[in-house]
Amino acid sequence: MSDILINKVKQLLSDKAIDIFIGHGEGTGGRIRPIFVRTPEDAEQLIFNENCKQSWANYLLKPEVKAAGKIGMMATKHALRAMMQLASEFQIKDNEVLALYWDNNELKSSADFKEIEAYLASQNHDILPHEQEMIDKLNAMTTQERWDFWQKEYEKCIKCYACRSACPMCYCHHCAAEGNQPQWIPVASHQLGNMDWHLMRAMHLSGRCINCGACAKVCPMHIPLNLLTYNLITPIQQEFGAIAGMKHDATYALSTFKTEDKENFIL
Amino acid sequence: MARVGVFVCHCGENISATVDCEKVAKESGDLNSVVFSTDYKYMCSDPGQTLIKEAIKEHKLDRVVVAACSPRMHEPTFRKACSEAGMNPYLCEMANIREHCSWVHPKSEETTAKAGDLVRTIVEKVKKNKPLQAIKVPITKTAIVIGGGVAGIQSALDIANCGHKVIMVEKQPSIGGHMSQLSETFPTLDCSQCILTPRMVEVAQHPNITLYTYAEIESVDGFIGNFKVKIRRKSKSLDENLCTGCGLCTTKCPKKKIPNEFERGLGNRTAIYVPFPQAVPNKPVIDRENCNYYQKGTCKVCEKVCPVQAIRFDQEDQIIEVEAGALVVCTGFDVLKPNFFPEYGYGKYKDVIDGLQFERLASASGPTKGEIRRPSDGEIPKKIVFIACAGSRDPAKGIEYCSKICCMYTAKHAMLYKHKVHDGTPYVFYMDIRAGGKMYEEFVRRAIVEDDTKYIRGRVSTVFERNGKLIVRGADTLMGAQPVEIEADMVVLASAGVSNPDSEELAQRLHVSYDAYKFFAEAHPKLKPVETNTAGIFLAGACQAPKDIPESVAAASGAAVKVAALFSNSELTREPVVAEVNRQAPPVFSTCTGCFLCEKVCPYQAIEREEIKDRNGNVIKTLARINKGLCQGCGTCVALCRVKAIDLHGFSNQQMYSEVMALLNF
Amino acid sequence: MENQEFEPKIVAFVCNWCTYAGADLTGTSRIKYGANVKIIRFPCTGRIDFMLLMKAFENGADGIIISGCHPNDCHYSTGNFHARRRWVVFRNLLNFSGIDTERIQFSWVSAAEGFKWADVVNNTIEKVRALGPYENYKKINVPTLFAKEDNNE
Repeated sequence: MSDILINKVKQLLSDKAIDIFIGHGEGTGGRIRPIFVRTPEDAEQLIFNENCKQSWANYLLKPEVKAAGKIGMMATKHALRAMMQLASEFQIKDNEVLALYWDNNELKSSADFKEIEAYLASQNHDILPHEQEMIDKLNAMTTQERWDFWQKEYEKCIKCYACRSACPMCYCHHCAAEGNQPQWIPVASHQLGNMDWHLMRAMHLSGRCINCGACAKVCPMHIPLNLLTYNLITPIQQEFGAIAGMKHDATYALSTFKTEDKENFIL
Repeated sequence: MARVGVFVCHCGENISATVDCEKVAKESGDLNSVVFSTDYKYMCSDPGQTLIKEAIKEHKLDRVVVAACSPRMHEPTFRKACSEAGMNPYLCEMANIREHCSWVHPKSEETTAKAGDLVRTIVEKVKKNKPLQAIKVPITKTAIVIGGGVAGIQSALDIANCGHKVIMVEKQPSIGGHMSQLSETFPTLDCSQCILTPRMVEVAQHPNITLYTYAEIESVDGFIGNFKVKIRRKSKSLDENLCTGCGLCTTKCPKKKIPNEFERGLGNRTAIYVPFPQAVPNKPVIDRENCNYYQKGTCKVCEKVCPVQAIRFDQEDQIIEVEAGALVVCTGFDVLKPNFFPEYGYGKYKDVIDGLQFERLASASGPTKGEIRRPSDGEIPKKIVFIACAGSRDPAKGIEYCSKICCMYTAKHAMLYKHKVHDGTPYVFYMDIRAGGKMYEEFVRRAIVEDDTKYIRGRVSTVFERNGKLIVRGADTLMGAQPVEIEADMVVLASAGVSNPDSEELAQRLHVSYDAYKFFAEAHPKLKPVETNTAGIFLAGACQAPKDIPESVAAASGAAVKVAALFSNSELTREPVVAEVNRQAPPVFSTCTGCFLCEKVCPYQAIEREEIKDRNGNVIKTLARINKGLCQGCGTCVALCRVKAIDLHGFSNQQMYSEVMALLNF
Repeated sequence: MENQEFEPKIVAFVCNWCTYAGADLTGTSRIKYGANVKIIRFPCTGRIDFMLLMKAFENGADGIIISGCHPNDCHYSTGNFHARRRWVVFRNLLNFSGIDTERIQFSWVSAAEGFKWADVVNNTIEKVRALGPYENYKKINVPTLFAKEDNNE
């Protein structure tokens, strides 16, 4: 698989079809890291195997990457969904990013939103069984138990904001967490401030999360914070019929409304 | 460091009966940044206001908190007083210690403490207030009236008579609308043309009105007072300045068998035509779809016969751009199309017609010169059945509403028929008779009693032909749902009034909202019946919902007054409570990410896109920008914005945050 | 027994055009309600930032009332519809995080519903009083070093 990928990228770079390619490379300790390939020779460093599940979509909007020219990217299913969601938020345009993706062991390439949407429509986007199990388990708890569960998790947070860096949807160049007029989120990583941060983040990602799980994977304290946003995916889909990252021109669930939206909780 | 003054009002005893005002004033004096505090019996009285003004000067106050009644009551009063003392009025806030405190709680320490809490909260808020300037918007004193039916005509004349310029845009070759098609009008039976045509002529001749017929709105940009509107003047293939309207061309045109739209297909017209004899302007247009020259390349008879050489075959559509301060939308309604009633045989049997077609048959200038003759063979029908609610009030057909005008015009039709065919029998199938209106019920009674119209309460299930007769089969629900069959010579359907087929497109061009039936939506169903959600765009007539003539005219005059009121000043002053997207120095220009998720939440389409360009003209970034002319200050975008790039003046993030903090922390 | 002594702190976030005016009417009609509810005025429910609700609990609120115009009555025509969607999502998130959504009362109170406003307030006070002080928040460990970390001055 790696060879097919390397040859393809080499050709794309020598044809000047792309100027930079974001792909998977060998990291230290057997880990996978992103690499940014600019010359056909460097393409040799690319790998692709069953461990290459990471989405690099969070690099698409980085000024350093954009400045390099036309971008190509090795895209997982989640990276493609991230692309669609970014497109719906006017962050990338059609035919701007060339995505390479495996479709039944065949390496496909497309920068065309319609093609990518068609591919995505053929895939399963459910969250993983063990994640769903965890959500179900939490929902079965009492409110107090859930509170205790999350407080223990929030207590661990060191506010490194790795979750934010890894998230393809956290592309704001001036995060609200950095705003200090007023200081919405306390700077220090105490329990209250940590909770503020995670709730704000989850709310900002509601209806936008494409369940790639990057936030939880990169968390050095192993907080299962992806569950916060995953838990919102089903209700948003059920109540508003909206699912993030499937269409480049989708309407954000919270940008619209129906007069008959549920309101059984309102007096 | 802010210098806040706190003024606690006793409101006679309205506040002081339950709240210890002196204590509230004294304790407020100890709050951070409060440099002066006092209490007074009637703060809103002249001496009370003077007290505030003098304190502002004496203590160099730059913020004022008045603890008194609801800001909905006296905020303007106190802001004005502060302004008179040289302070920016928007640095004055009110703490509501009357409606929300003294009146709803008993006399107690707790009530006084709550009053103190409310003052402290507002003191913290006011410290974050920023001086604001009322927004001044210049006004172009020209109104565009879209649609030249009776509503448009009324609106245009009223505005023009106030001395303002009006541009009327009508889609058809003539103004007049549906009213010009009507024979006589309920409940007075005066002739529609007789009352309408003089007003049509008045429009054409009015020095303040510019009339564009055969024209449509291409696009609308801008905002209240400052709209930029593109109008497409469709080619009439005619030099209107030369044409004298002699009509020779229309008599010589060889294409004579084109169904006449004005006669609802009951008569014919030529390819170069004037829609009806009283048309304004009374000059022809060439219908290119049906013209021999445009379709086959030869003919040009009209050009040859024209005594003034006014025919212009090469004329193209013209787009003109005009500036306007307000728009009045009077685009009217349409009538359900034939294919809607397969069970009534509309479109299948020539003698099943709709109400507007009946109007043409009854009209003295219509295809039968006012004689009721059925379309199939020109015979005079001896039995005629009118079916009310044809489509209306029928959820199965997707039209749940009542078309409102049909009960009345059906009674009128029966009456007109009886007046013209004395030995004929009119039947009306109805669900309910809705005759609310001045002289309306009496009118319906007349149709029943004096003109012997047979009203049958029930619905018609089917209409079919048998032995040259139209068999109308229905039920009489007042006779125990007994089946009824009538052998009729003609059937008239009171088809539902519906929105125009292009109303959705027009609504989107105008950025006004519309309802599930594609009728235009008023800003408030009761209190703002002629306004839309977009400031500066008004509505009148049946484009909102089916309306009769008096209602349309009343709404049109109402809309005209709104326009005249707007035009009474050269500038529009607006509260500066509007949202703003932050801007900052490069390299980021704004914290706005340009995701435009806010764009759709704005009820006023006030969020625009601004391209930030470098000096070579390349776009670096696209940011949201709030159009201050359109923004009404709801703040829905502010709460949505993840980056907090949007803030609302008067209710800013800092102000609201400070309020919450101050309310709870002490 | 202790709870009978307890007077909850309740913050009401209301829109200017309906509920604030409705609460004014409660006053003009001299209908009584508990003094532990304090109102913060927003132009529209659409303006109410979910962050402010979080801040209210953090700063000692035991209960929250959020109220605006009935559907289709919004002064800004659609602000309350947008707000309603956000509340559906936010309630879900709070609930999943173990925050007691019983302590947040959502309501529609029009400018004519002075009685309803008093009912909403009194019922919420009853409900929150029964629930007791929001101990969970009060027990959160914030190092004293940061305790005064706010932005008021």
